[in-house]
Amino acid sequence: MRLELGSFPVERVVFADRTRWADGTLEVHRDAVLRAVRDDPRIVSAELELAAPGESVRIWPVRDVIEPRIKVEGAGVCYPGICGRPIATVGEGRTHRLAGLGVAEVSSVNWHDSGGDFVETYLDMSGPYAAMYPYHRLHLLCVVVEPDPALGSEARNDAVHKAALTVSDAVAAATRGLTAPQREVFELGPVNEALPKVVYLWCVHSPQAMSGSPDAYCTATYGLTQLTPPWYLHPNEVLDGALTGSYRTAFAMSWTVANNPLHLDLLRRHGKDWRFLGDIVLRTEWTTQHEKQLMANQAAKLAQVLGADGAIVTWDAGGNEFIEVIRTVQACERLGIRTVFLTSEDDATDGAPTMLEPLPEADAIVSTSFFNNHTLGVPEAPPVRRVIGLPEKAIQGDRRAGTGKDVMVPTAGPLPPPRRYDDHYGFNSLSCIE
Amino acid sequence: MGVRVVHYLNQFFGGIGGEEHAGAKLTAQDGPVGAGRALQQALGGQGEVVATLICGDNRFHEDTHNVLMGLRGHLQRLKPDLLVAGPAFAAGRYGLACAQVCRLARSLGIAAVSGLHRDNPAVQGHRADVTMVPTGETPADMPQALASMVRVGLKLQRGEALGPAELEGTISTGVRSVYDREVPGYQRALTMLLDKLHGRPFTTEVPICTPERVPPAPALGDLRGATIGMVTTGGLVRRGNPEGQVAANATRYHRHSVRALEALSGNDWEAFHAGYFNHIVNRNPNYILPLNFLRDLERAGEIGRVHEHIYALPGVSTPVAMGVRLGRGIAEELQAGGVHGVLLVAT
Amino acid sequence: MGIPVAMISAIYDLALTTGANRVVRGARIEHVCGDPHLGPEKDYAYGLRIVRTALGALAQAVAGPTLFDPLAGGAAGAAGQEAARHAS
Repeated sequence: MRLELGSFPVERVVFADRTRWADGTLEVHRDAVLRAVRDDPRIVSAELELAAPGESVRIWPVRDVIEPRIKVEGAGVCYPGICGRPIATVGEGRTHRLAGLGVAEVSSVNWHDSGGDFVETYLDMSGPYAAMYPYHRLHLLCVVVEPDPALGSEARNDAVHKAALTVSDAVAAATRGLTAPQREVFELGPVNEALPKVVYLWCVHSPQAMSGSPDAYCTATYGLTQLTPPWYLHPNEVLDGALTGSYRTAFAMSWTVANNPLHLDLLRRHGKDWRFLGDIVLRTEWTTQHEKQLMANQAAKLAQVLGADGAIVTWDAGGNEFIEVIRTVQACERLGIRTVFLTSEDDATDGAPTMLEPLPEADAIVSTSFFNNHTLGVPEAPPVRRVIGLPEKAIQGDRRAGTGKDVMVPTAGPLPPPRRYDDHYGFNSLSCIE
Repeated sequence: MGVRVVHYLNQFFGGIGGEEHAGAKLTAQDGPVGAGRALQQALGGQGEVVATLICGDNRFHEDTHNVLMGLRGHLQRLKPDLLVAGPAFAAGRYGLACAQVCRLARSLGIAAVSGLHRDNPAVQGHRADVTMVPTGETPADMPQALASMVRVGLKLQRGEALGPAELEGTISTGVRSVYDREVPGYQRALTMLLDKLHGRPFTTEVPICTPERVPPAPALGDLRGATIGMVTTGGLVRRGNPEGQVAANATRYHRHSVRALEALSGNDWEAFHAGYFNHIVNRNPNYILPLNFLRDLERAGEIGRVHEHIYALPGVSTPVAMGVRLGRGIAEELQAGGVHGVLLVAT
Repeated sequence: MGIPVAMISAIYDLALTTGANRVVRGARIEHVCGDPHLGPEKDYAYGLRIVRTALGALAQAVAGPTLFDPLAGGAAGAAGQEAARHAS
């Protein structure tokens, strides 16, 4: 699989009477793009708004941030499978991306109706809270969208995410026929045999257990979010968006998956530091020991059959999902695959252990610090001048921590941070030490 | 004048003898003795071992109070700048004695340091209040152990704050805190992977700790006479959650009476727990608190009684420290209630 | 003297690794003491077997973290199976 990824940097975004990219400026034909969004009869209201780096603006609720990518040569479409998009295998040919732009999906639709998982992320474009995430360096084209409330949960999720993808497709299409100023080729070509062979075990939350449905929305593999056995993806497939969609933290967005620095480095240093074998995507939140261990065994077996000498493991969830993840680390080590685990940590009060299950094989852990913003000591985000999205936000007694008695405060702030920080892919340098 | 150091040793390292002399009384001698000569060498010109305190390991533990009184007297008389205890390597009794001597010295305002192997049983109980450096398992590691102890000890004696254990080369207190490692996590992970693959040394950022082991309670003699209590972390609440149990991050537990109940009905009970799909338990709450089965067994005479109180909380996102508190509270109530055995259902 | 506790959990290995001494294998996180997909009679028999296994664990001396599997053979399992036979 050979993929040429062409990057079109975006330094300025303006609404205009056409959608066009030229010399770093993206013009967006607001009316035409909104017409395409409203074409979906499930959409009741839709607006487009802009947020620039450094602006005093807050966006809430943020369900996803998507980097516009489009296939200009080769099979399939970017972000395949999800929201009914074609499922043709991607990863070959040429793909264009708008670098420095994110399409933000802003909607009050919750992940599912079964309780326990709530949309929590808001994003600032300036200030100390903003600095914790990569998004404040992007121009955000915000799709503020609401679906017909009478629809079922899955349909509402599908409708608003599809709206965001419609906008993403529309602006990415502006690069068709143009020559990308920056081009990079991704290919896992032959390398020096002496280099160690490395695989990336990418653990992704499935909402199936918590929602009671195999079709609930979340980070998806070719559109599927259900609990499935481990799945091999060529890294180019991920660059073309085969793994896409969001989960509950600011670091679990389509944007961070496509721009996962760990994944990109694995790709870029192929042939120099290792032979990169590719990605094994492992779904988490199986609900018996039996299933959790089975998935771990099979993921490790797949890594072994691929010839892995080494493995990196990441995950994007919490709680009992740690079990299948740490047992995957263990299973790999037991097969002689040298494994490193990149993870956040739980509360350490009174010297408590910060990992759920202490398995001795997990002897190489890189920590991205406490996942809980409260434990991290993250202060309130300061007030902002402008809000995109809902003018009020529930805090304190929210449904997860309290009794349903929401306290509504102005989104313009000050606002406490969301519950979780959780730097799944190691974008930042925050860690823990003892 | 250099730093005045007092050295604490057991009977073996103090040159008295082996295990047969473990009952040796506390003695004080001038200057370095036995292994203390290596300590003096490690100190070089920076300090002087002015005295050595030696006590048999068994004597220390069988007569702790008097030994500590004696040590206190010596330390107050000698007024050292630094107390060095051991190193004890893997020896448990010796390690424990060293830790207690260090604590005593600190209570007298004297900087103190010891050296123990990470698996020395004394580490768990004293890591929070005694500065220790990690050593090898055997005295073969003596030169390195003493070098570390001197380096760290002199820092303490100078009143310098020690950095995190990982950087300072000490045994950690077990308390983790936020720390900026200045290199993005993904880069550190790939570097660690290459080190691991190429057999180069690396330091894990999260040492795995072995959980506390609790001795099992003895088995019930006779189930037929036993009162059985139930506890659930499945977040069981009365329908509508009138008590306002939280869905996660519990800071209290809830006690309910089941005295009048034969089973839990979905009409009267439900689950409120943010960590699993609650709907199945909402229809049949006995899945997380098996009251119906216990009542049947009570009726059949297979158990004595179902305890009238049950305990519930949502077991999700609970910091371990809070879990310890809540568990203790529930256990005390069950004990006061005369319960013989407990079923704990976890989701 | 402590009170023995039988911990019933579907993710029993975690309970064992973290030091619970008497651990009973439950069905699934969402329905620990039984399985609604079996139909009412078999669901009840399964739940009773789990509870009987747990009580058997309370009555058994253990040296450290021990798994009692209602679906396996052995003393505790057999007690559970016995119960299931009487129930159905």
